Amino acid sequence: MAGSPSISRRLLFARIGTYVALACAVLLVLFPIYWMVITSLKLPREIYRVPSLWPQTITWNNYRILLEDKGFLVALRNSLLVAGSVTFISVVISSLAAYSLARFRYRFRGFVGRLILFAYLTPTTLLFIPLSILMARLGLGNSLHGLILVYLTFSLPLSTWLLQGYFRGVPKELEEQGMIDGLTRFGALFRIVIPLSAPGIAAVAIFTFTGAWNELLLALVLITSESQRTTPLALNYLITSDVLPWGPLMAGAVISSLPLMILYFVAQRFMVQGMTAGSVKG
Amino acid sequence: MTQPRTASPKPRFSAATQDQLFAYGLVLPVVLLLLGLVAYPFFYAIWVSFTNRVVGNDGVFIGLGNFRYLAGSPAFFSAIRNTIVLVVVSDILKLAIGLGLALLVTQKIAGRGLFRSMLMLPWAMPAFVAYLTWRVLYQPIGGGINLVLTQTGIYPEIVDWLGQRQTAMPSVIVAAVWRGFPFWFVSILAALQTIPGELYEAARIDGANAWQRFRAVTWPGIRQVVIITTLLSSIWTANSFEHVWLLTQGGPSDATMVFPVLAYFGMQTQRLGEAAAVSVAMLPVLAILVIFATAMMTSREEQD
Amino acid sequence: MTAHFAWTRRHILKTSVAGAAAALTAGRATSSLAAPALVKGSKLTYWGGLIFSDKANKLLVDTINKWGADNGIQTEVVMINQNETVQKVSAAVASNTLPDALDLSLDLLMLLSRQGVFHTVDEIFDSLGKAQGGWFPAIASASDTSKVAGGRTGIPYGVSGNLLLRRNDLLSKAGFKNPPTTWEELSQQAAAINKPPLYGLGLALSNVGDGNVQVGVLQSYGGRIADDTGTKAAIKSEATREYLKWVKAAWDKKLFPPGNTTWDGAGDNNAYLAGQAAFIANTGSVGIAAKSQDPELYQATLYSSLPGGPKGVVSATNTNLRAIPKSSKNPDAARALLEFLGSPEFMNAYYEQAIYGPVLQGQSKLKAFTSGDPILSGLLDLVVKGTAPAYPDVYNTAFADAYNNFVVPKMVQRVVIDNWDFDRAMDEAQTVTQSIYDKYK
Repeated sequence: MAGSPSISRRLLFARIGTYVALACAVLLVLFPIYWMVITSLKLPREIYRVPSLWPQTITWNNYRILLEDKGFLVALRNSLLVAGSVTFISVVISSLAAYSLARFRYRFRGFVGRLILFAYLTPTTLLFIPLSILMARLGLGNSLHGLILVYLTFSLPLSTWLLQGYFRGVPKELEEQGMIDGLTRFGALFRIVIPLSAPGIAAVAIFTFTGAWNELLLALVLITSESQRTTPLALNYLITSDVLPWGPLMAGAVISSLPLMILYFVAQRFMVQGMTAGSVKG
Repeated sequence: MTQPRTASPKPRFSAATQDQLFAYGLVLPVVLLLLGLVAYPFFYAIWVSFTNRVVGNDGVFIGLGNFRYLAGSPAFFSAIRNTIVLVVVSDILKLAIGLGLALLVTQKIAGRGLFRSMLMLPWAMPAFVAYLTWRVLYQPIGGGINLVLTQTGIYPEIVDWLGQRQTAMPSVIVAAVWRGFPFWFVSILAALQTIPGELYEAARIDGANAWQRFRAVTWPGIRQVVIITTLLSSIWTANSFEHVWLLTQGGPSDATMVFPVLAYFGMQTQRLGEAAAVSVAMLPVLAILVIFATAMMTSREEQD
Repeated sequence: MTAHFAWTRRHILKTSVAGAAAALTAGRATSSLAAPALVKGSKLTYWGGLIFSDKANKLLVDTINKWGADNGIQTEVVMINQNETVQKVSAAVASNTLPDALDLSLDLLMLLSRQGVFHTVDEIFDSLGKAQGGWFPAIASASDTSKVAGGRTGIPYGVSGNLLLRRNDLLSKAGFKNPPTTWEELSQQAAAINKPPLYGLGLALSNVGDGNVQVGVLQSYGGRIADDTGTKAAIKSEATREYLKWVKAAWDKKLFPPGNTTWDGAGDNNAYLAGQAAFIANTGSVGIAAKSQDPELYQATLYSSLPGGPKGVVSATNTNLRAIPKSSKNPDAARALLEFLGSPEFMNAYYEQAIYGPVLQGQSKLKAFTSGDPILSGLLDLVVKGTAPAYPDVYNTAFADAYNNFVVPKMVQRVVIDNWDFDRAMDEAQTVTQSIYDKYK
């Protein structure tokens, strides 16, 4: 805290400026979320006829409608199942691939890298008809298994890409030491590399989970039965013909965003660390 | 964090071959899944774009017929222009906002973690929910934005944000930036963590001011990340259709028509060949970006 | 008075829907035409069209399941959101995963029938027609797929189309007791009570289905999409110019609510429910929404048929049908089900909850249409007076393509948004339409 008063005053102003700027940014970021929440707490008539910046009467009716029928709880369970499975499978097999890409030099490595990137960049609008044909042939149409398989198309490339960067950050000497101590290659991967990459894996897992939790377009085409619907699909089904039930829709939006928002709050640190590895050292 | 150096390969050939097999084995599941789930549908879609396939009928090869029809439609050229505008402008804004906020929260300030978490929230919302919410916010009468502007007296007139040519695209861009900036924010924040503090100290001792420090230390440290993020984000923005579809359906007139929405219209008329052709017409641009991105990444590996 | 009566009748029905489904199946079990062919224990999947009325959706599901239980057939009913029918059915056709029977719109039925996707169902069509006073001629001719599929492939079950909803409270105060009968009159009435934030004309001019109401307006002014051969674009004409003058005049008087050039399908509904529009053209879903959410607004609303132009009224009806895909593994059961779903008992209960007009002449005597419900009466009126799809244009795939590409709303947007002169806007629409028609030569 030493220094001339003018410098400390400049520091103080800079600090205040920082807070003001951050407060403005947070306000802008939160405003749509705020709007979503208050709309979910309004009566239909209030939403349409007397728009206001805060609800005049708070009602939990929209949440009640949503949770009582529409199979919304089933959808939440399905989403949890799909997103959880995709995350698990994706993290496991992309860890293997990422380790291969990060540690070994071989002939088709460049090709594999390119394939991964191309896969990541192909528009879904181009893929959904052929994918639905493929799933039907495999007997996986209209099932959560099919959906899990399809979601790997976008989760694997990103996971592999981020993880290989992270694995590269683990000193090779540690593994070599481990192998001298009697570990196999697999042992070295699971006992040394993966534990050391925990933040990266956590970040990758969160990204994958988010992607699978939020996906709509492919679910729309592949899932038919009500019992197999995921949360975004169930929300989409609230919009029938030409009437938007804003109240229940926003209530559903709040419920479906909440788990992820909590996750982001808790795991914010891991995400930054994970990205550090993935994007910088990729 | 420091870069580990790869140890020099040991001259044990049998072990090396074993390693090779091991390496292939590890990467095989990903390769097979991607070939089956992406490469096959991808080439299939390219084939469809050269046919007059409609729903229920495989159609026949018609060469460039679909592309010729597209090139003759005014919507196609609006789509090219608007897609470029949307991608470029929203990238610039996301970079500016992401970078600015990342710089602010790398400082050692109270509540840093809370700010970081809150700034990531838009990312946690399902895209279609996020854009529906924006649609309500933009409503001319009773929409949140006009309510705030009129009730605070900042701007007394009601603005039809999505219904006028001058404001429609900017409105779409604002919503897209809101939802898309957290990815930039996190990536840049992550990159900033890797810049050793000593570099800043050294610059400070040399008497560099804030701008000079940014130019000399910060920017070189995050340049790579910014380039890669720009490429990825450009491709995502160009490919996604929820923002425009849920906000304006490409209107008013053709003010916000973009490629994926055009393809979606093709789907609605059940003309699969034509819809595929729209997506395929966008591929050359994407391919250039991809090749650029891969080159970028391989060159980094070589530096490694 | 009428509205009040309907209100209480609805109220009573609410509680009896489930009971009705049970009673229906019990009464009909023996008289089914195709009953002997049913295999006990076989499976049947049905895709129903999910509509705005939850009660109608539930009634359909319950009825089919009850029918299945009575006939020893395992039924699975999936309600498909109508907004996604095209993608769902497209993907299902491509991957050969269509259900045993499904609801779909005439558009989609026509297109897929051309590709031989469906079984013919003439005998069900004939037997239902014979039993219930014959089909409405307009519906019978519009849904005839014989030329393209060697027979009828769809059994019509409901007609939807647009009614003109108006705020009687405001209009009667301004001295307008009767609904407008011409588009000019509509503009005049709208202008008389136009007072932002209440706007007179809640008509969509955007790239969605509602925007295509403008096709009918254009045609009522004598304009056409294509000529009588159905091959040459004919948008550019003096009649179209007259129509554009009407829109432009209303636009310049600021009669349209802001945002109507980018409204989604719910735009006009939202505007009306928010009290921002005095007139809208709607299928009736807004009426139902208002009934539960805003009874005051519901009371203030009156319904009439769409106004006309110099060439009369053009109010296109859309028929919804049930069909049986050739890929069905249980076509006999599907036929029996379709026959069963055509019964007056079920259809009366269904019409009372849904927002469809009747398809069979005998249905017009059903309680649903005679008890004075303003929306259902309006829909009956629509079936009697409405025009065939595309009329006076030729209804073919090229027309459907132009329609789904929103050539008319886009032309209007060129005029009102981009300030193009009429000639330039018509020229572009003409070129675009011609290139669409050229694809189908």
